[in-house]
Formats: sequence, C-alpha cells, structure tokens
Amino acid sequence: MSQDKDRALKQAADLEEHPDAPSTTVSRRRFLQGLGFAAGVTAAGVIPALITAAPSAGNESEAAESGSGAPGGEENPLAEIIENDKPVNYPGKPVKYADPAGDQKWAMVIDVKACVGCRKCAYACVKENNIGRTSGFTYIQLLEMEPGEINLETANANYTEGGRADKWYLPVQCMHCAKPTCVYGCPVKATWREPDGIVVIDYDKCIACRNCMITCPYYARHFNWVEPEVPKNEINPKVPLEEKAAVVEKCTFCIQRTRHGQTTACTEACPVGARTFGDLNDPNSDVSIILKTRRAFRLKEELGSEPVIWYVG
Amino acid sequence: MTETTAHKPGVKRFIGIDWDLGALRSASPRFWLWVAFLGTFVVVGVAAWGAFITQGGVVMAQRDGSPWGLWFTNYMYYVGLAAGGLVVYASVHLFGAEQYRPLSRIAVLQAGVFTMLALLGVVSDFEQPIRLLNMVISPNPTAPFVYTGTAAGLYMVLCFVDLWIMLTGTGGEKLAFTMTLIALPAAIYLHTTTAFVLALNKSRELWHSAVMVPIFLTSATASGIAVLFIFAYIFMRVTNVRFKPSMFRSLATLLATVIIIDLFLLSVEVLWTFWPTSAIPGETSRLIEFVAGRYAPFFLPIFVLGFTAFGLLANRKLRHLPAIQITASILYIIAIFLKRYSLMAMGFSLTPLGQPTKIYFPSLVETGIALGILAFGILFVTICVKIMPLEVPKEELEAHHGHGHASLDEAEVAA
Repeated sequence: MSQDKDRALKQAADLEEHPDAPSTTVSRRRFLQGLGFAAGVTAAGVIPALITAAPSAGNESEAAESGSGAPGGEENPLAEIIENDKPVNYPGKPVKYADPAGDQKWAMVIDVKACVGCRKCAYACVKENNIGRTSGFTYIQLLEMEPGEINLETANANYTEGGRADKWYLPVQCMHCAKPTCVYGCPVKATWREPDGIVVIDYDKCIACRNCMITCPYYARHFNWVEPEVPKNEINPKVPLEEKAAVVEKCTFCIQRTRHGQTTACTEACPVGARTFGDLNDPNSDVSIILKTRRAFRLKEELGSEPVIWYVG
Repeated sequence: MTETTAHKPGVKRFIGIDWDLGALRSASPRFWLWVAFLGTFVVVGVAAWGAFITQGGVVMAQRDGSPWGLWFTNYMYYVGLAAGGLVVYASVHLFGAEQYRPLSRIAVLQAGVFTMLALLGVVSDFEQPIRLLNMVISPNPTAPFVYTGTAAGLYMVLCFVDLWIMLTGTGGEKLAFTMTLIALPAAIYLHTTTAFVLALNKSRELWHSAVMVPIFLTSATASGIAVLFIFAYIFMRVTNVRFKPSMFRSLATLLATVIIIDLFLLSVEVLWTFWPTSAIPGETSRLIEFVAGRYAPFFLPIFVLGFTAFGLLANRKLRHLPAIQITASILYIIAIFLKRYSLMAMGFSLTPLGQPTKIYFPSLVETGIALGILAFGILFVTICVKIMPLEVPKEELEAHHGHGHASLDEAEVAA
C-alpha cells in the first residue's frame, strides 16, 4: 500500500494522542499474547457495554418519534429499491460477531457538497473497527476530485490536506450492494448479505483467496497481510480482532453499533454532517426523506450492483 | 506391454505398468547430478513456503493493490501448457492426425504434471490452506473460482488415468478414443473457466472482455505445443526414441498457425482499447501502462518475441530445422509467460478506484515457492521419463499405419 495511507493511519493515531505507533515487526502466531488480549477484551468490555445499553438519541429514534404522518402518501417511491434489497447467500443465522438483524433496510446518504475531505470519518472508523494500525488500509477512502467531473482515474486518494476550495471530495467505502459482486465471487460463501442489507464476512471461513477483492468494483475490501495490531487500551471489544489475521475485512456499517440503535462511527464523526445513516423501511427516516426529495446518484451505478450508499450534491 | 520388456532385469510390474527401476540403478552420475540440482530447488521452495506460513502474507510482494501475483500468473501459464499438450494428443484420435501418435504419451504426461503444478501454486499461496475444504463443504455456484479449481483437480486425475490406460493398453483403441472424447472437452472447460476467473469481473476493466476466453485457448495451445516441442527433443536426447522429422515439421506448421491467431486476438484487444470510438478512460488509462508505462517492458516484448517466432516458423526454408523449431518454441514460451504476467497485472495496474498501485514484482519468497514448484515438476517428469515406458510401441504405431497419411519408412529408418 502507499505510504500516504500509512501516514493517514498514523495521523489517525496521533489525533487521539497515542504517540507510539506499534512496531512494524510482525509475528503471526502469538497465542500467549492472544490470551492476554482476550483477558483485556473482557475487562475493557464492561464500560462500552454500559454505554451501548443506554438509550441513544440518534437520528433514527428522532425520526421514529416524528410519528406516522408520512409525507409520501400511499405509494412509496422507494418501494422498488426496498423490494430489491434482499439477503444474498445468507446462511440463515447472523454472522458470529453480531446480533441478529432487525427488520430494517440500512442505507446511507453522503452529501458531497458538505464533505470537506478531512478524513475524520476514516479515522473514527479505524478506531471503532479494530483496524490494524500498521495494516496499511482504512475501510473508508476519500477521493479528491477535480471540479466538473467524477473521474476516478484523475482522482487522488492520497492527498495530504483536505478542504481545498478548488476540489471536491468523494468518500468511498463498502457500498453493501444489493447485488454484491464480492458475495457472488466468494468461492466458499464466507461472505454474505444479511436480511438488513449488511454485507458481512465470516472471518473463520475465509480461505484467503482474495477473489472478493478482485470482484469488488469499489476497492472496499482489504486483506490483512500483516497481523492486525491495535494498542491494548484502544481495542473495541465488540469487534473481532485476532480473527481478522490473514483474512479479508471491510466496512460492516458498524454492525456492532447499528443493530443496537446507534448510528455508524463515520456518521457520528463527520464534523459537517455530510453523512446520514438510516432505515429505508421507515418512510420517515432521514435517508428515506433525502432519497425521496433530493437528486441522488450512486457510484458506478452502470455496473448494476445496486449499492445502498447514495451521494447527493 | 510386450513380453520382452516385462522380462528385462530391474523391471517391476505394478498397477499394470512396467516400471524400469533398473534404469535408475544404472543411471549415470550426470543424471543424479541433475536430480540433485532440481532437488535443491524443491528444498528451497519448501523453505520459502515455510517462511510464508510462519510469517504470513507480509513476506509476499502482493498487497491490496495487487491481491494476486506470481502464483496466479503461473496458474494461468501452467494450465495453458497442460491444455496445449492435450490438444496434440487429442488430435490423434479425433482428427486422425496419426503423425502425432508417437507423442501421445509424453503429451498426456505433460498435461497432468502441469495441472498438478498449477494446483500446487494455488494451495501454496493461500494463507488458510486447511480451509480450502470449505470449497467442498459450501461451494458457491456463482464463483468462477470454484469451477476452475474443481476442473483443474478433475483434469489432473483424468490425465493420469488416461496415461495409465495408454501405458497398460487397457480397453484398447476404443477406450483410448473415448478418453479423448472426455479429455478434450475437459481441457477446453478447464481453460474456459480459468479465463472466466478474469473475464467475469465487471470490476476489472481490462479483464472484462469476452475475447479473454478464445485468447486463453490460443495462448494455451501455442505455448503447450512449444513446450511439447522442447520436451520431445529432450526426450529424444535422453532416450533411444526417435521421432520423424515430418512429425516435427507438421507440428511447426500447427504452432505457427496458432501463434498468429493468438497475436491477432491480442492486437484486436489493444486496438479496441485505444480506438477513439471505443476507447473508455478506465480501460485506456490502464492499458497505457502496458504500452508506454511501467509495465511496457513486460508487455511489448510479447509482440517482438511472438512475431519473431512466427516469422521463423512461417518460413518454408527454415521451418524443418530443429534449431529453428527450438528457438521459436523458446521465444514463444517466454512470450506467453510475459503475456500471463501482463494479463495478471492488467487487472491491478490501477485499483478499481482508478488509483495507481505499486508495480508488482514477486518477492524472494514468492519466487522461491514458484521455483520449487517448477523444479518439482521437472523432477517428476525426469523420473517418469527414466522409469516409465513412454515410448509408443511399434505395434501400436503400425496398427494405425493405414489411418496415417505419413509413411512409416522414415520412422523405421530413424529407429
């Protein structure tokens, strides 16, 4: 991976004032240390568990409270999208590290007019999802675009400073496609799409063939070429860590948060409110309202993989 | 086999084949030196694989930008070399190309061994080799990988069974014919599914082309015949078997034909990527890397080597010369390797998000594993040539004298 990415990751670590980046030497089979981690996880798990247990005041609950007076009338213009939003290769039970799906259909809208390319979403995501600090990737990538075009080939993912007035910024991550080419391409069904639309990976089943990375048009999947290393006091106990060694991982729409009424870490971290996350089944959710009232587009829509992340500008 | 061979000293009959173990005992020091040389590389390969398994993917040059590397290059390459050999063998039975019958046994051996090497490459690259069982437990019907993987496995078994049938003479000519009817479609199936692993990806611009399938077949046939050429000449050198010059001449014509079709298809691909009315930025900006960018040193030589090889073989005055045939074969074997390498890199020169990746060049560990696998294959063939009755017996050749159009006199004189 590029050095700029590494730098970005380091910035993420610096942001939270953790001066010592973990050493770059990697030993793969550290069972004893693994046991240590597990103990740490159990201990550290108590506090975040209390936080998540408390009722959250996120976008969803607000939207839900605003009642049933839906502005849309009887015909839901999003009906077709919801209709196509189905599980794919779902084995009938939720992925190991998450609770069962509710009856939502998750979706996200990103306002590219608001986005300033600060990468706060990417940094928050790294922390929330136990992404190895030396692994050289982030789930979210920010593309700096030239004015007047959506041209990936001339975009720059390795810019050092965002916020330039003469550019615009396009955040890209796993699109949780309704027709996920990655899921179709996995030879062993180690990845699938759950009923609420979240594309997940079973880390214990992945054979490390990396074919899903080949089939994904959004470069959203990443392989752990090194063992993922996270400083002990920063480990999120709700997210697998050691299981991710030598397998592929990617954005899960913060499955550990969103299935408990919270919003995603990136949505929460965005300083300009460019991200909106919510439920398409709820006609009053923010995402439903935005999609019904504003002109939205999807990245590489011509490929027909039907992503559930939309962009508005 | 004939009674006389069965009574030669040192010959042991096992599973119906006369293994000439005595040949090993009487083998020259040069033979053992060669075996030791190959054995060293096998040991290096095993050590490199050990390093990979203990230290993980970080010892490879593969990264998210180039998630597949040398092993996949070799997978395409070896599968191609396997299929090419088989086409020659199959044409004996299917098209009555009796002139190739003397090659049938070594052609099938070549096919089986190369498929084995292709599979070894896959297994040695996955960091979770035990979980490959999941391929059997829960195969995903929409993943092309499942088809090429199982096809390679079945094909390898098919080749070795076929070789056994030929060596033992089980079932006679009728079964041999039936086996061809199974083996040729299997070879095409294996090749098509391998091409599908690339072509069925709308996420990878230059791979996403229907021409990928025929181009895979022509590259495979060309490189396979080229390897068979070299194999046949080496086989003649180390054994008492003599092949007819007319057989080589006929093979040279076939090779030249396939080479030019192969180059034609590749040129069409390049043309359509750059032609103003068909050029798509995602495709041109990737292919430009191969025509004038970082990958040009790998891609452009394909045309130079290819057209040179074709030129040598197309010339009527030169075509029959063994030196020309061998030179052209070597040139095209290198060209196809570069082509497989470029093909692999074409998917990865830019990420699906259009960002340039670091140029992929295999690490020491990857190279070590690949060399170990190749050395294992050559060692396997070396031993087989030494102890297996790979020479097609005269009775079998004479029995089909009537079908063949070439006269046998030449062969008898040579023998």
